[in-house]
Amino acid sequence: MDTVELARLQFALTAGAHFLFVALTLGLATLVAVVQTRATFSGDPVHLRMTRFWGQLYVINYAMGIVTGLVMEFQLGLAWSGLTEYAGDVFGAALAMETLVAFFVESTFLGLWIFGWNKLNRWAHLAVIWVVTLTAYASAFWIMVANGFLQNPLGHVLENGRLRLVDFGAMVANPAAQVAFGHVLAAAMVTGGFFVAGVSAYHLRRRTAERDVFRKSLRIGLGVALPGLFVTATFGGLGFETMQPGKIAAWSGSAERLAAVQAEMTALHGPGDHLPPVEVVQTAGITMLVLFAVMLFLGGPSFLLMLVRPVVHGFRLWHGLLTLMIPLPFAAMLAGWVFREVGRQPWAVDGLLTTAEAMSPLSHGQVVFSLTAFSAVFGALIVINVWLLGRHARRGPGAVALGDRPIEAPVPVPSF
Amino acid sequence: MEIFVLAFFALGYLVLAGADIGVGMALPYLGRSAAERREVIAAIAPFYLGNEVWLVAVAGVLAGLFPELEGELLSGNHTLVVLLLVAWVTRDAGLWLRGRVPGARWQAFWDGATVAGSWGLALSWGGLLSHVLLGIQGPLAALPALAVAALFAAHGLTFATLRLRGVLRERAAVLSGGAGEARTYALTSAALLAVGVLAGLRLPLEPGTAGPLLAPIVLTLIPFLVAAQAWVWWTFRHRVTGPSYL
Repeated sequence: MDTVELARLQFALTAGAHFLFVALTLGLATLVAVVQTRATFSGDPVHLRMTRFWGQLYVINYAMGIVTGLVMEFQLGLAWSGLTEYAGDVFGAALAMETLVAFFVESTFLGLWIFGWNKLNRWAHLAVIWVVTLTAYASAFWIMVANGFLQNPLGHVLENGRLRLVDFGAMVANPAAQVAFGHVLAAAMVTGGFFVAGVSAYHLRRRTAERDVFRKSLRIGLGVALPGLFVTATFGGLGFETMQPGKIAAWSGSAERLAAVQAEMTALHGPGDHLPPVEVVQTAGITMLVLFAVMLFLGGPSFLLMLVRPVVHGFRLWHGLLTLMIPLPFAAMLAGWVFREVGRQPWAVDGLLTTAEAMSPLSHGQVVFSLTAFSAVFGALIVINVWLLGRHARRGPGAVALGDRPIEAPVPVPSF
Repeated sequence: MEIFVLAFFALGYLVLAGADIGVGMALPYLGRSAAERREVIAAIAPFYLGNEVWLVAVAGVLAGLFPELEGELLSGNHTLVVLLLVAWVTRDAGLWLRGRVPGARWQAFWDGATVAGSWGLALSWGGLLSHVLLGIQGPLAALPALAVAALFAAHGLTFATLRLRGVLRERAAVLSGGAGEARTYALTSAALLAVGVLAGLRLPLEPGTAGPLLAPIVLTLIPFLVAAQAWVWWTFRHRVTGPSYL
């Protein structure tokens, strides 16, 4: 592989890994906030146990999302300085907003939420989880504004070979950003919803002690996932309106359309291959749609089944199916992301800057080094995260440390 | 205005997160048993998340206000920045994961990750700062890098004296002796600020063109961000009395 391909692989692997954590975080944060709201208002111990149990899984996953997010914040400057130099004055503003109004506040308040349990007033503690949830949305919003600019540049002028921001509002209101934000946020609700439903079904199937906790959780999970699927599909459909001609042509697979785009781009930008890899775009798009269909066919009837209490407690085959569905939204999100990002190739900023031009002046060895280092670390984090989530999910609400008063007292050791 | 914004977050990071790095470096010295280490970690637990994010803000400010410098600084110091990020992730993974599974070996492993990651962070910061400040690279840069790392460690110890009690506090006071704890902390903070300011003066701080639009927004945000952090500092202002969630 040449250096640019390696750098692309590095970005794809790290962003894809980060995206897996984020998808669950966004959905789970919402569900934890909703459950904690009910717990705070009702004072019901079942709701409190639900908050702590789902909160613990959320924190485990969130921690991994944060540490991979730290790396992502530095990736563009590290490997794509051509992009930051050319377009940083425009879409860098969205990245700056993301770090300040979202990441900064989110991290600060997450610390307050985790360590302030049993310390803060319970209403303040509830407010804190809502701030964390809303700033998580804000983070996704500003990242999609930055990404939307790369997909469909708006609000800029070209001056002295660099882009300058002239219309902040136009950049933020970019349909390519807004529609994608709605799509991703709703898909994250689907991810969180199916995760909660699947883990709850596991416990109901095993007939563990916490029947109330998991019956209610399963209903909340499916209650969020099914409407989430409809919203995701609606925004996804709108997304086709905002797509680049090259992506649409690749998706349609029509030789005529591909040739037309190639001819049009050649007229604008000179000779070269101006089309995205057709097979990758199609495979990713079809994978996303097939997974969506599977989720809809299982999610629709599940929504009805969950209304009948004996079924929720006793239909073990269905429980098994729900647990098996946990990975589907993750796979669908990754496929959708490949569709969106590979489909805009060969451009880093659509029609303005190619991916090859966007790269930093790095040597082959440098990229191999960072690719190896980040892949090893991120790979290990994914494995640990999946294992820990599975372990804590199986153990149930009895073994949750979050929000518990510390048990081990420190033992003073004599210094002689 | 742009330079003030960048300096605010960069210097804030060095002072606030520098203490967490230093405590992580000194973890084997401060905590001689698993339970002691857990209490030492409780000294930074509620803060480190809100402290490290100052560097995320630096990345954002660079991206929005100094995009050219961002590219030069990060891709120009590729190896050091990659090492810094890997060390950072390792340190954080150690902190987050140590308490999630009971068992001495699991905790010892992740405490090791915290220590190694903290040293890695301090040394890569040392390397970066000495490159920017003195223009030194290669083996010779190890000397100034070690000096900066020692400064982080000292800063962590002075922070630990403010947070811990009993024998742990005595151990942390090894450098300050009988001197006032708050004054020693102020001294190490000032030293880190000085290093940060001097390094900043050596950078080509040429803002991009988004400043007139973006910088006023950021300046308006700063009081709210500081207020949010102040709430954390106020909530956890008391000395550590036992282990935390980590």
